[in-house]
Amino acid sequence: MARVSAPAEEGLVGAGLVVEGLVFRYPGAETPALDGVSLECGRGLVHWLFGPLGAGCSTLLLAAAGLAPRHTGGTLEGGLTLLGADPQRDAGRRALLGRVAVVTPAPALQLSGVAATVEEEVAFAPANLGWPVERIRAATAAALARLEVAHLAGRAPAALSGGELQRVVIAAMLVLSPDAWLLDEPGAALDAAGRRRLRALLREEAARGALVVVASEDADAMLGAADRVVLLDRGRVRAAGAPEALLAGDEVWREGPGSTSIAALARAAGLPAPHPLTVEEGVARWSR
Amino acid sequence: MSLGPGLAERAHPFTPIAATGAITALAFLLPGPWGPPALYAAVVLLAAATGVGGAVRTAALVCLPLWVFLVLLHGVLGDGPATAVGPLRLSRDGLALAVAQAGRLGAIATATLGMLRAFRPSRFLDATAARGWSFHAAYLVVATLQAGPRLRERAALVLEAQRTRGLRYGGSPPARLRALAPVVLPLVLGALAEVDDRAMALEARGLAAEVRRTPLAPPADTTADRATRLALLALVLAALGWRLAGWLA
Repeated sequence: MARVSAPAEEGLVGAGLVVEGLVFRYPGAETPALDGVSLECGRGLVHWLFGPLGAGCSTLLLAAAGLAPRHTGGTLEGGLTLLGADPQRDAGRRALLGRVAVVTPAPALQLSGVAATVEEEVAFAPANLGWPVERIRAATAAALARLEVAHLAGRAPAALSGGELQRVVIAAMLVLSPDAWLLDEPGAALDAAGRRRLRALLREEAARGALVVVASEDADAMLGAADRVVLLDRGRVRAAGAPEALLAGDEVWREGPGSTSIAALARAAGLPAPHPLTVEEGVARWSR
Repeated sequence: MSLGPGLAERAHPFTPIAATGAITALAFLLPGPWGPPALYAAVVLLAAATGVGGAVRTAALVCLPLWVFLVLLHGVLGDGPATAVGPLRLSRDGLALAVAQAGRLGAIATATLGMLRAFRPSRFLDATAARGWSFHAAYLVVATLQAGPRLRERAALVLEAQRTRGLRYGGSPPARLRALAPVVLPLVLGALAEVDDRAMALEARGLAAEVRRTPLAPPADTTADRATRLALLALVLAALGWRLAGWLA
C-alpha cells in the first residue's frame, strides 16, 4: 500500500499540527499503531481523520495532545508540533496549557469527579488555570449556552444522560476558547440534534481560526462539517483531500472504512462511482 | 419535603474533618471501660444533631460483627474473675476491654462516615484553594475519600451486568464467595484502566497548571467554625495532658 503524506492547505501550515514520519508502538505490540505518518493540518479548517478500527486515528490524536506515550506507554519516533510547540516535551506542554481542547470517546471519564454541578464541571479547567472568577463565570455561561445545555447548569454531572454528558464535556473544553481541538468520536453519544449542534460548533471554531482535528468513523455525521479528510489505514495515511471527492469514490471501500449510508446504498445497488453521499444527491441521481 | 443540608454540611469543610480527627484522638485518649462508650454516645448525638444521623446506622452495621468478635475474644476467652451471663461465664476484665474497644470502634466509624456524608469535594477544593494550599494534594485527598463510594457504584454496575449474563449471586456463603470472582476482577481491572483515561482528561483540563487555582465559591470560615476547631484542639490537648499526668504520677 502506498504511503501518502497529507499536506495542508496553503498558508495555514505553521500554526497548526505538523507530523513528520511519526511511528508509534504500544507496549508489547508487534506492529506499530502509527507507521510513518506525515501530516499537516492548518488552523481555520476542520480536519477529519477517517479510518477503520485500528487505523491509528485515536493514537494520532493522543500523540498530538502529548498524552501518548506518556500515559499509554510505548515508543514514539518522528517529528510532531502542535501550534508551533512540541507536545512531547515539558516546555511544549507548558506552552500549550489551556490552548488545546481534548475530547476522548468516553465522556464519563472526562469528568473532574469533584464538581457538584454542571456549572462547576465546566468551570473546572479555567479555575485550574487561575482565571479570575468573573471571567470564569462569563465563559462558563457562554460555553453552556453554545452547547444548548444552559438549563443543565445546576444539575449533578453524574445524573446526566450520555448525550447531555457529551455536550457538557465539550462545553468544558469550549470554555477555554482553545486554539486547537483534538476530538475523538465526539458525536458518538449525541442524538441527531446534538450532532447538528456539534457540526455547527466545529465550523464556528474553525471560522474563529482554531485548528480542529476530529477522529470519527461516522461519515454521515462528518460530511458537511469537515473541510478535509485524511484516510488512515493500519497506521498509514492512504489519501487526503476534500471529503466529497474521497467519499464518493471506491477507494474508501477497498480495505477502508466505507462512506456515508447513501453511498453504501448506491454501491449496493450497483451504481458506479462517484456515489451520491447525501439523501438529496441520491434523490437527484435516482430521479434522472 | 427537603430539610436542606444539615449543620455538618453547611459548616466549613475543615470543621467536620477536624472533628473526626479529634474524635479519633479522644477515642484512644479516654480511658476504658466507660470513656470510649461515653464518647461513642456523644458522637451518636452529635451526628444526629448535625444532620448526618444516617451515619449512625451504617457505622453500627459495619461495627456489629467486630463488636461480637470483641466480646467473644475478650469476654469468653479472657482471664480473671468471671461473671455469669446465661449459660456463659464471661471474664469481667475481658468484657471491660471489649466495651472500651467497641466504643472506640463505634465512635471512630460513626465520626468518619458522618464526615464523609457531609463531605462536598468542590467545597473542600475551594476551601483549600482559598488558603493557597496545593491543589494536587487537595485533589488527592478528595480522590481518596471518594474512592470508596465510587467503587461501590461501580461494583453495583458490574454486579448487574454479570447478573444479566447469568451470574447467580446469593445463597450460601461459599456460593457467594464463588460469585465474587466475576465481580471483583472486572471491578479492579476496570478501575485500573480508568485511571489512565481520567489522568489524561484531567491533564487536558489544566490539572498540571503551575498557577494558584481560583476558588469559585470559597466557603465562609465563620467565627463559630474557627472556635469549634480550636475547642476540639483544646479538648484533645486537655485529654492528652490528663492522661500524661496520670501515667507520670
